[in-house]
Amino acid sequence: MDILPQLILNSIIAGAIYALVALGFNLIYGATKFFNLAHGVLSAVGGYTVFFFSKSLGLNFYLSVLLGVLLAGLIGYLLDKFIYLPLRKRKASNMVLLVASLGAFTVIQAIIAILFSSQFKTLSQNVGQQKIYEILGGVITQTQLVILVSGIAIALGLILILKYTLFGKAIKAINNDEEVAKIIGINTNKITGYVFFIGSAIAGWAGILVGLDTGIQPTMGMGLLLKGVIASIIGGVGNVYGGFVGSFLLGFVENFGIWKISGEWKDAIAFGVLIVFLLFRPQGIFKK
Amino acid sequence: MEYLIHIGIIFTIYAILGISLNLVVGYTGLLSMAHAVFYGLGAYTTAILLTRFEINFFVTVILGMVVSGIISLLIGLVLNRFRGDYYALVSFGFNIIIFSIFLNWQSLTRGPLGIPGIDKPSLFGLEFSNNLSFLILSLAMLGLIYLISRFIIKSSFGRVLKAIRDDEQAIQVFGYNILYFKLTIFVISACLAAVAGSLLASYITFIDPSSFVLMESIFILAIIILGGLANLKGAVLGALFLILLPEVLRFVGFPSDIAAQMRQVIYGLILILLMLYRPQGLMGEYKL
Repeated sequence: MDILPQLILNSIIAGAIYALVALGFNLIYGATKFFNLAHGVLSAVGGYTVFFFSKSLGLNFYLSVLLGVLLAGLIGYLLDKFIYLPLRKRKASNMVLLVASLGAFTVIQAIIAILFSSQFKTLSQNVGQQKIYEILGGVITQTQLVILVSGIAIALGLILILKYTLFGKAIKAINNDEEVAKIIGINTNKITGYVFFIGSAIAGWAGILVGLDTGIQPTMGMGLLLKGVIASIIGGVGNVYGGFVGSFLLGFVENFGIWKISGEWKDAIAFGVLIVFLLFRPQGIFKK
Repeated sequence: MEYLIHIGIIFTIYAILGISLNLVVGYTGLLSMAHAVFYGLGAYTTAILLTRFEINFFVTVILGMVVSGIISLLIGLVLNRFRGDYYALVSFGFNIIIFSIFLNWQSLTRGPLGIPGIDKPSLFGLEFSNNLSFLILSLAMLGLIYLISRFIIKSSFGRVLKAIRDDEQAIQVFGYNILYFKLTIFVISACLAAVAGSLLASYITFIDPSSFVLMESIFILAIIILGGLANLKGAVLGALFLILLPEVLRFVGFPSDIAAQMRQVIYGLILILLMLYRPQGLMGEYKL
């Protein structure tokens, strides 16, 4: 059997998952210019909310998914309101914001572990009975198809919003110069709050899909976050379009890397790529 | 009593890690999140040499420092290209890469199985096989490292480090070779951290990669941020507090796995609150 089509398909699927994390991360970075490390744990929040409502309480699955996305968004919004916003008002350095977000990450991850235990759980309703599609000699499951389609749809949606709506232009203005944006009457704090909500909700959605595809664990956030961050930086940090392309590039490099080297080195390969990029092209592929 | 001695030994190990990391983060202003790498290099060097070649423990400590020093020189050369939050991110990456090596270089490290049966130290017929004598040994090491660190920061070399931290450009104008100073302190810090690793390997008599994950680096960072950046006593106090915390929680009646998670919740909260209200830590002299 030819392994190449499946390898390409796997790369694209991995890329789509990273893209879902990178999109929200880049959106937030674009407005605030700091590494929000708590972003990853919101994926776990999304996944576990669905687990709680649909599996423990027996609520309708689609309603649980909606709740998961909203809760992830809400927590992201609250993190901004109660932690990052006061820090930004005080003109705290990026390192302070980074450490604070790391603190938030640790707290939320540990709370999830206390509530649901650290064990691996799966979200999927009918294990092993997923519909499977064949494309070009490779196999893709229904969940993976949803990952791919929603990844592309959300990316397109975000790019259109950023380009054509007033809200998008306001984000761009904040990105260019927050002070000037304030002077011309943009309520920067409100806009940034919305940005946190949207970005975090996308992270929650990503966590739910990963939970359906493989499973959930309290520590799942860190891995997703790091891949999202790497993809963002490869593409051009703060650039939503670049992060999207960077995600697929990372997906391909990782999957083709482990074709020749064994699979355990995936993370090392990803960070190797990151360091090479930072050394030789720190602005990423797309940033001018 | 045995229990108190055990806590005491663990405390000295983390106090050494805190002091050595404070040299880099507190005194030089470089937010390194790769300290668990050097901790691990010391531990693995001692473990491998003691189990395979039966070299004296104290010789393996020196060799661990050498290994850690060489690797830190290479990592430091790359890290020196970055500043602020990017420095933190790349050091993150190195932690993951080296962790992958601990995990996957199975012929050397036995991977996730870990290395069991590591001997206790002995010197000139003096055996440190019971825990009390080991505590005395590790306290002596802690004292020695404290004095070395104090000597470094009180020297003219240490004053240059602080000057680099406060205004890198100004000190460059005075003709100091910044690269040399940053690299030297990074290597010294890594060598000292390796001692903590050697102590851990020999005390527990078993090591596996899970002791040197990224979260461990973040935990060590939390120790010095809590105790105080650029304050050696602060690092010791921070270690004391965060090591005692889960024990107290267990005493109050939490089951031990919940206590471990509660520790994470509390130190995450501490990080957030300190960043919001006291970014230099309790006794610190430098704000991130």
